[in-house]
Amino acid sequence: MTQKEKKTATKQNDEMVQNDDVGAPSPLDNDPFVSDSDDSSYEDSSAEDDGDYSFDSESELESHDGEDGASSGGDDDSSQDEDIANNEDNGKESSDINQDNTNDQDGGSESSDFHEGGRIESDSSEDEVAPRNTVGDVPLKWYEDEPHIGYDIKGKKIKRKEKQDKLGSFLANVDDSKNWRKVYDEYNDEEVELTKDEIKIVRRLLKNRAPHPDFDPYPDYVDWFKWDDAKHPLSNAPEPKRRFIPSKWEAKKVVKYVRAIRKGLITFDKPKEEDGPYLLWGDDSSSTEKSKHLAYIPAPKQKIPGHEESYNPPLEYIPTQEEINSYQLMYEEDRPKFIPKRFTSMRSIPAYENAMKECFERCLDLYLCPRVRRKRLNIDPESLKPKLPSRKELKPYPITCYIEYKGHEDVVTSISIEASGQWMASGSSDGTVRIWEVETGRCLRKWVVGEAVNCVAWNPLPGVHILAVSVGQDVLLLNTSLGDEEEQKRIKELLQVDQSIATDDSENKAISVSWLQDDKHAGIRLRHFKTVTSVEWHRKGDYFSTLSKKLTQKLPFKLHGLAVRSTFHPSHSIFFVCTKKSVRVYDLLKTKLIKKLDTGLREASSIAIHPGGDNVIVGSKEGKMCWFDMDLSSKPYKILKCHPKDINNVVFHRSYPLFASCSDDGTAYIFHGMVYSDLNQNPLIVPLEILRGHTSSNGREMALRAASMSRSFISSARASLRSSAPSHIPGIRPPPLASPRVQSRRFSIPSTRNLGQLGCTQSLLPLHSPMVLTCLTSHLDVSARACCELSNGTFRRSCQDR
Amino acid sequence: MVGKHYRPPGKKKEGNAAKFVTRSQALKLLQISLPLFRKLCILKGVTPREPKKKFKGTHQTYYHVKDIAFLHHEPLLEVHRAIKTHERKIKKAEAKKNIERANRLRDQTPKPKIDRIIRQRYPRFVDALGELDDCLSMVHLFAALPASESKKIDVECVHKCRRLAHEWQAFISRTHKLRKAFVSVKGIYYQAAIEGQAITWLTPHSLQQVVSEEVDLPTMLNFLQLYEPLLGFVNFRLYHSINLKYPPLLDPRLEALAADLYALSRYVGRDTRRSAVNSESVDLVEHEQIEAKQSGAQSEDEKSELRLAQLHHQLPSNEHGPGALMHLVEEAAGDEEEEDQDTRECRKLFENMKFFLSREVPRESLLFVIPAFGGVVSWEGEGGPFGESDQSITHQVVDRDSQGHRFLSREYVQPQWIFDCVNARIILPTMDYVVGKIPPPHLSPFVDNEEEGAYVPDYAQTIKHLQAAARKEILPLPGVGKDLEDPQNLLAEGVIDRAEANEAAQRKQKMMMLEKQYHEDLKKELQHVTYTPSDSTVDKQVPTEVTKTGEESSYDVQNVDDMGKLLMSRKKRKLLEAMQISNDRKQAKHDLIKQRKKKLESAQS
Repeated sequence: MTQKEKKTATKQNDEMVQNDDVGAPSPLDNDPFVSDSDDSSYEDSSAEDDGDYSFDSESELESHDGEDGASSGGDDDSSQDEDIANNEDNGKESSDINQDNTNDQDGGSESSDFHEGGRIESDSSEDEVAPRNTVGDVPLKWYEDEPHIGYDIKGKKIKRKEKQDKLGSFLANVDDSKNWRKVYDEYNDEEVELTKDEIKIVRRLLKNRAPHPDFDPYPDYVDWFKWDDAKHPLSNAPEPKRRFIPSKWEAKKVVKYVRAIRKGLITFDKPKEEDGPYLLWGDDSSSTEKSKHLAYIPAPKQKIPGHEESYNPPLEYIPTQEEINSYQLMYEEDRPKFIPKRFTSMRSIPAYENAMKECFERCLDLYLCPRVRRKRLNIDPESLKPKLPSRKELKPYPITCYIEYKGHEDVVTSISIEASGQWMASGSSDGTVRIWEVETGRCLRKWVVGEAVNCVAWNPLPGVHILAVSVGQDVLLLNTSLGDEEEQKRIKELLQVDQSIATDDSENKAISVSWLQDDKHAGIRLRHFKTVTSVEWHRKGDYFSTLSKKLTQKLPFKLHGLAVRSTFHPSHSIFFVCTKKSVRVYDLLKTKLIKKLDTGLREASSIAIHPGGDNVIVGSKEGKMCWFDMDLSSKPYKILKCHPKDINNVVFHRSYPLFASCSDDGTAYIFHGMVYSDLNQNPLIVPLEILRGHTSSNGREMALRAASMSRSFISSARASLRSSAPSHIPGIRPPPLASPRVQSRRFSIPSTRNLGQLGCTQSLLPLHSPMVLTCLTSHLDVSARACCELSNGTFRRSCQDR
Repeated sequence: MVGKHYRPPGKKKEGNAAKFVTRSQALKLLQISLPLFRKLCILKGVTPREPKKKFKGTHQTYYHVKDIAFLHHEPLLEVHRAIKTHERKIKKAEAKKNIERANRLRDQTPKPKIDRIIRQRYPRFVDALGELDDCLSMVHLFAALPASESKKIDVECVHKCRRLAHEWQAFISRTHKLRKAFVSVKGIYYQAAIEGQAITWLTPHSLQQVVSEEVDLPTMLNFLQLYEPLLGFVNFRLYHSINLKYPPLLDPRLEALAADLYALSRYVGRDTRRSAVNSESVDLVEHEQIEAKQSGAQSEDEKSELRLAQLHHQLPSNEHGPGALMHLVEEAAGDEEEEDQDTRECRKLFENMKFFLSREVPRESLLFVIPAFGGVVSWEGEGGPFGESDQSITHQVVDRDSQGHRFLSREYVQPQWIFDCVNARIILPTMDYVVGKIPPPHLSPFVDNEEEGAYVPDYAQTIKHLQAAARKEILPLPGVGKDLEDPQNLLAEGVIDRAEANEAAQRKQKMMMLEKQYHEDLKKELQHVTYTPSDSTVDKQVPTEVTKTGEESSYDVQNVDDMGKLLMSRKKRKLLEAMQISNDRKQAKHDLIKQRKKKLESAQS
């Protein structure tokens, strides 16, 4: 509440007080309130005032005593009501008396000032004369410390009224029902009770309205001027002439516009004409107008609906409830987009709720998806497969297991067939070498060599029944004591070692190979420094090559990489060395490199030469097999990926167009490999048969790779035996052309032996290879189980049936 | 000094970075906003490209530089800029309360012209026809949408779509180009063949469509902005090809009755007649047309029902009934030499048949389909050319549980019968489609039943047999001619009662089955003859070996299979494997259906 309001309130209070003289409640007893909401705050402040007052009054009273008389009692306000004035007049005497009394008392007893003040106040309230404060509009703060609050109209001090304590005032308030309309007038230090009218005014003011209810802020406008019935115009000027003549300037303007329109300078909005369709495409069936734009790819058409989208599909197209439930378990992408539904009549088809959405999605596809022309392969999968001749036409070839040779107690590592095809030698890691009769499976002979056999090889000459066996660091040349007496004689001659020459050799250079007579086996033992992994005979049976870690003799050419296998050309004096990545072909006569075949394999493991001599196959440890046509290129003509595991050996048939590969996985593949004499025709390769002979019970790998290799080999040998029965010996051997002597010289091999003697006297021995063929042995460590089965020493032979 | 071939720094000379730009780069280059860019892409048919190397990351959209240059030189770009400034003027005028000016400006807003773009995108008419599928589907969809101001689907737009769709349908129906129709859950699929192009489109069921919230309508409206004129031009060209004026003048009364299609088809029929038939009918028709025009004008003024009804009565009388119409249309059609076998077959399917559609039947689609196959059709309600009581009606199409009053002279069929007949191209027996019965399954005509390994539903087989039988009817077997008499004719005569008719129909069915069996036997025999000689010779020669080869072949098959694979290159091998996987998946689908079928059968028995 503002100060002014308080003042007016005070005035009103005065009036009220004066109006009902009798029975008016003492203003001191009640705390005035303007509105309910203000209650507490106002009460508090008044209570504080009370407290202040009670403290100050004692100390300050004395100082004001002297001034009491001098202070002029100024009137409150010039606008004070007359009523009040009257009232004051009326009650002047009494108030004066009161004042006197108080003054007297003040002067009399200062100590009891407080109590007397209280009494005086009660007196004054009884008198109904409120002291009119005349201090004017000064901050009341100035009087805070004074015992009086101002001066009345006569200049006398108006004493501060004594306040009730809080409890008392509160109790009084509680009892008083009119408490809420009481206001404390700070200026006059009294409580004022507001009347109903006053409260109304306050409320109106709070609402920003005019205080008086009768006041109308928007009265209707009253036009006091009388407009009609006027005898004279307001202006008495005559009508101008221009009102009556056409405007010259206007006419000029019109003429200007007309001319402009005629000239076409001004145009009007034409009525809009709808530009409808017209004949956009003429007869353009022949025109091949190309757009300058980039190649336009028409959008693929939308999927055409099948039976399942029908409103009444066959019953079998409707998924069962279980199937629909199972869709919920699927991934969002895998879920079928459309679930068929069935309606028994056309009238029951509802509107399709996704019509709009699907159309929109199609729109998005049309303009947001990159368009790429994809070659759609609409071909029969069968047409991808190469056209192969019927296998029936390619007979004979081995199909099934025909015979098993039992006797070896450990893994069979190598087998070899005698030139006539009647005998077969096998070496096993149980340290034995056996000779079998191919036809019957009878074991003819057995040598116990002590160590695991790495490789066995028959001498390719038909009359010379000598077997080369690599055992550990040795190569044994064994007399198999086959053939008639004359042959035996020759063989025994051959297998004599001239010790003296051998020592001569050792004097010349560091002995890498020592030739020893092996009496136990009636043969020759060639001792190497390192393990010999393979033995390979020359086609004439005069030489053989072994692979070992240490060089036995100086080579006329350099080897790149690790030699894995070596082999001789079947008809020329050409030597093949297979390293891990490539095959090198050397001419032994000229002692130079002829060709390098790039296999592209990771690790080659075996090599075989076609009897024709122009084609080579190389098996690798990745299970791949490369066929090289040496006339064609140094790159493989064909790569066959057939085995999941290492290929151990590959081999050509000696007379038939067959070749085979065998692998760690216990299978052997037989291929038809026809080489045509016509150079323009590429070799024909047809896979024929998979032989699965060696499988352990739990599917573990069989270590019998060598055996399986040789099995196919055998079988092919068999095939040749049967089909070409009259031609007694399998294997095509051309007549010896080059003289062995020349060869040996060329190699600068100290040929101490006669030519007639077996070429094994010297060997083109171990090619330098830092890494010996550990692969062979590494794959021989078979598990206990495999060993167990192998301990039967079984290896099988398969034979073709038809 | 900038050289002749100046390349700004940072611009690549070659490679993907020189050939492609990202979308934001394109926007910067074209100086337009994304919505406008999208619109231009839609109109011009510019799609993103897939560069081999995504030089700005895989999350970007790439456009070819030439595509963007193509847009850059587009006059539409300029038009849209003009529109933008114009909109600003309108806004200003409105802000100044200059409503007159605002309205005038609004009228003057430049309109992008699409015709040049259409010509550019589809240099030949055939190209446009080839890509009409989406256009038709969309226009048909919008024709069924509720116009709503909040979604910016104008009433005008909907009406225009509706008109275009009906014009299109009228043409197809008139020239008998419709080939297939399929009622699916999503709507009705139609397939027409025009100039060797198979055009398939989807019309929603004539029910209230819901405009869902997840659809971005501005995009669709952009497409519609292209499709509307496209279909307009296509229609113009098509109408032009049959010597008709475009846009056609319609009977406003029929239009008011929402039978626009019928009005259109009548217009089409009438005008071609005029072009083809002699002068005698010309004056008649001209008179009629003038009258129609007059009445149209008047009705626009007055909209008096009376006048319209009068007109309506006039028109059919001029046409000498639908039969005459048919006759004349046929005559006109006979002139067209280029009409192919297929069209002739389609035209004659419902020849001499009169259909009456009940209230509850989807009228719009049937009014389209039946005339397309040579039938005459009317419907219950106002505007139909003949009423229900017409004695010459042969079929009444109803779709309710039971039919109260029946005329003996006509067959009561469900609407599905018409679609099935159309797809099978023969008049199927109506027994399965009688009122209140659940009709046999409705099969998709788009499925190739000949495909290997595909599942063929039973009803497809039945239809196939019926078709075979229908073809044989040209050479009726001796002695069966009498029995094969059409029970429908008997019905028309009203000589025998319904039960007998049913019996006759069954008898006919049986006969047909027998006949079919006989034909099949014959066929089998024929095949057998070709087979047996070889078989017998083999049998005679080495009877034991045959069994052996059989054994071997099974062994061979599995062995040869992986043998062949050995020799294939890795690429081919992988391809083969992928093909096998996809084939297996397809087969699995068929197997699932077969399995369900088996289950159903076992449950029934």
